[in-house]
Amino acid sequence: MSFLFATPLFWTTLTIAAFALGQVLYRRSHNHPLLQPMLVGMVILVAVIELSGSSYQSYMAGGDYLNQMLAPVVVMLAVPMYAFVHAMRKEWLRIVVAVSLGSAVTIFVAGGLTYWLLGDEVVAKTALTKSITTPIAVAVAEQLGGIPALAAAFVMVSGLLGAFLIPSLLKVTKLNAPQSMGVALGVCAHAIGTARALEEGQQQAAYAAMAMTLTGVLHAIVLPLLF
Amino acid sequence: MTVLGLLLLLVFLLLGLVLQQLLHMPLPASILGMLLLLFFLLLRGKTPESLNQISRTLSPLLPLFIIPVSVGIVTQKTLLQEHGLLLFGIMALSLIPGALLCAWIMKGGKAEL
Repeated sequence: MSFLFATPLFWTTLTIAAFALGQVLYRRSHNHPLLQPMLVGMVILVAVIELSGSSYQSYMAGGDYLNQMLAPVVVMLAVPMYAFVHAMRKEWLRIVVAVSLGSAVTIFVAGGLTYWLLGDEVVAKTALTKSITTPIAVAVAEQLGGIPALAAAFVMVSGLLGAFLIPSLLKVTKLNAPQSMGVALGVCAHAIGTARALEEGQQQAAYAAMAMTLTGVLHAIVLPLLF
Repeated sequence: MTVLGLLLLLVFLLLGLVLQQLLHMPLPASILGMLLLLFFLLLRGKTPESLNQISRTLSPLLPLFIIPVSVGIVTQKTLLQEHGLLLFGIMALSLIPGALLCAWIMKGGKAEL
């Protein structure tokens, strides 16, 4: 059977199967954040690669077919972005300031601490991408000379932690107005935060989606120019 | 006409790549393509139906397309064994000042969405 692990089509099929299983588990668990299809899919594939003694290269021979779709999908993000340009016309200055300053603080704390404690420039650069939504973060990490896979991991961990911590943090500090909750979740916890914001309300979710989109674009433009 | 939408995405991606190569821009080609498409939509004033269709088709599959690159974490075992917990702590800690600052700046405004 070991010939299967050398067949690119096997890995493509397994990736889609693991994702499909993840979707079922996610729905059955009423959207538990730890059972997101992407996370479940990743864990299953990592397990199969490790247990079969395969390499990432032999996985990617098949995984790359799906990976190639990432770039056109990033281009597609212009569609929801365009919808937000209309929605934010009244409060745009406040939103832009909150997103710019808030996201700058969170990534420079992360990048700075990583550089200071680990002394590894590549890992620190990668940590700077943590507030960008995954498809864009991966492209930016590559551009910065960081590690795309690590960027995906940082983004996911930030999203999960943010969705878990931020609502309580803002309730304790009485900063939990709908627009505050939404923007904080969107900036610090991107897509996972936006899903969490939807549990707080529609308004929170709209602000979160907008803040996530704006953060992604802003960081994608500014980070490669700075680093 | 989902295929027209797909064609539009690929054309803008290629335009992004051309722009990147010609002007030696440091931004990823996909980001440039996205910005070009955004400008196109702003000039046009509305989203073509073909783009809405491809967006509805592909958006639910987005996490699937991210799996291959995230599986690359298997190449980072040494880093995670040595510093995984520390990095996790840094990720948690760095959220707090950012979230508080965002929330504080937004507090003064009215919720309008």
